[in-house]
Amino acid sequence: MLPRIGLGLRLLLHNRARLAVASASVAMGVVIVFVEFGLLLGMLDAQSLVANLVRGDLLIMNIARVNLHRWDKIDAVRLEQAAAVPGVARVTPVYEDHVGLRDPDDKRVRRIILYAFPPDDIPFKLADPAGISHALKISHGFLYDRLSRPIFGKFKMGDDIQIDTIPLRVDGYVSIGADIVNDGNILMSSGDWLSRSPDAKPIMGVIHLEPGVSVERERRRILTSLPPDVTVLTPAETAERESAYTLRSAPVGLLFAIGMLAGLIIGTINCYQVLYNEISDHLPQFATLKAMGFSTGSLRSIILGQAVVLSASGFATGLLCAWIADRYIAAQSMLPIRITVPSGLVVCSLTVAMCVIAGLIAIRRVAIADPAALY
Amino acid sequence: MSELGSLQFSLGAAAKPSPAVVARRVSHAFDTGSARKQVLHDVDFALERGEFVILTGPSGAGKTTLMTLIGALRSLQSGSIRVLDTELAGLAPGGQREVRRRIGFIFQDHNLFEALTAFQTLSLAMEVAGGRPGHRQARRRAARLLSMLGLEAYLDSKPRQMSTGQKQRIAIARALINEPPIIIADEPTAALDAETAGLVIKLLRELVEIGGASILMVTHDNRIFSAADRVLNMVDGRIAPSQ
Repeated sequence: MLPRIGLGLRLLLHNRARLAVASASVAMGVVIVFVEFGLLLGMLDAQSLVANLVRGDLLIMNIARVNLHRWDKIDAVRLEQAAAVPGVARVTPVYEDHVGLRDPDDKRVRRIILYAFPPDDIPFKLADPAGISHALKISHGFLYDRLSRPIFGKFKMGDDIQIDTIPLRVDGYVSIGADIVNDGNILMSSGDWLSRSPDAKPIMGVIHLEPGVSVERERRRILTSLPPDVTVLTPAETAERESAYTLRSAPVGLLFAIGMLAGLIIGTINCYQVLYNEISDHLPQFATLKAMGFSTGSLRSIILGQAVVLSASGFATGLLCAWIADRYIAAQSMLPIRITVPSGLVVCSLTVAMCVIAGLIAIRRVAIADPAALY
Repeated sequence: MSELGSLQFSLGAAAKPSPAVVARRVSHAFDTGSARKQVLHDVDFALERGEFVILTGPSGAGKTTLMTLIGALRSLQSGSIRVLDTELAGLAPGGQREVRRRIGFIFQDHNLFEALTAFQTLSLAMEVAGGRPGHRQARRRAARLLSMLGLEAYLDSKPRQMSTGQKQRIAIARALINEPPIIIADEPTAALDAETAGLVIKLLRELVEIGGASILMVTHDNRIFSAADRVLNMVDGRIAPSQ
């Protein structure tokens, strides 16, 4: 039973006001699904942001650090041991801590994440690494993440800002981004950080392998060489682990799934209501078609055609509204919320499925169209 | 009359064709138990090929029920009805649909889709007769029929651009476009003025005389009784003896 899209479109286009309301009704469900989906993907992207930024072949961390928001540090000696494994070119220590950044305007101190590393070996994929390296080596100040949430006050390069009560100069900007837990980031050289916190331990080490060395073989070699209190993952595995953890352990996956389901149910009910009214209004016409010899299947294909048209118009309207909503939410939350081609295709498929299901439910009404009642 | 010459109706080639419709001992009741109401009592009826029969009678006499049974719009409870040599008793819904495809139905209400032009309506009707012809041929066929009904200018008009009478004529065209061998009509002239009603009756008469179609019409409009070959009166679920 193929949907008769042309006829369905003609019947719906006849009453444009009703089509607009119907499209808006379906679009409501589409927007909810899109926004939930966008928030989920944005949250997953944000949670795995650091992992995706890592520039290196492998990451070594404390085995207890099952996600990147845990603070289990690794002994520096483990990084040295890893660096001694044949095939490993070098291991870059990365330090991470909370520090208090004092807003120069309202004087309030807000928590921000600090990353520290050797300026000659930047472990993150950031724009202008030479400039970052130079800035961190020369001034002993810090670099501010311009994608931090706008809660830390307004300051410019060269300003002295209090970080944990010590004034440090803003030596430049980088682009990293906030996540659900952290509002922003600053970068500092590991030398400066260790001079202030001599007992600081690295949060992880970024392992660079010799050219041509198998990543998998080297990982096994490191794990067998070191005590079992470390884990070694590729940056991609770390990002996947982060997404899986966010979905599973923090129940956001379930929450967003429920949100999307609610959007789909709302869209299905709205679409059903529109199609039900459409059938009810045309019951004598459908009964006439039956009298003429059209099968119930043929009539169903007309309703399915209308369902497909509604899904297309609802999706287009919903896509536009969701794009505007996502832009707004992304600007407010500083999370990487966006509509991608894959997410668009998924929501498009869900919209068609939603409308077809609504159509299949509404179709039962066509079956009651009784041609004998026309006389 | 010559305009109709090209409309060929598909009648059997036998020298003495069987009647288009033969009903034998047809009884029908609605509801059950104490609410049961018998509306047809052992009705015998025949509609010959190329015959125009008008069925008249008071409201509740069973005319509509008989018409819907002959039109395979409802299932037979008892008795036998043969339509174009197909027995309707015990016929499955698919078989009933096939019978209906060979009947042109004209209802009191036009039941047109407001969204469709006259051509699109006729085009939809053409589909049911085993595939719509090519666009150009379909338009020619629709235009020719509409011109016979005085609606040549309305081929691409939607119902909202037409008067009630014009809509009814489009509905009549929808019933006739596939050149059905049987036409079942319910008060087809009720919504028409005298002049237009005359035009429609003339066309139906031509379909009978030239095309060999068989027409069963329910009407109370005694202005058109003279167009029929027979006028049958139905009373209390029975066809009254001819006067």
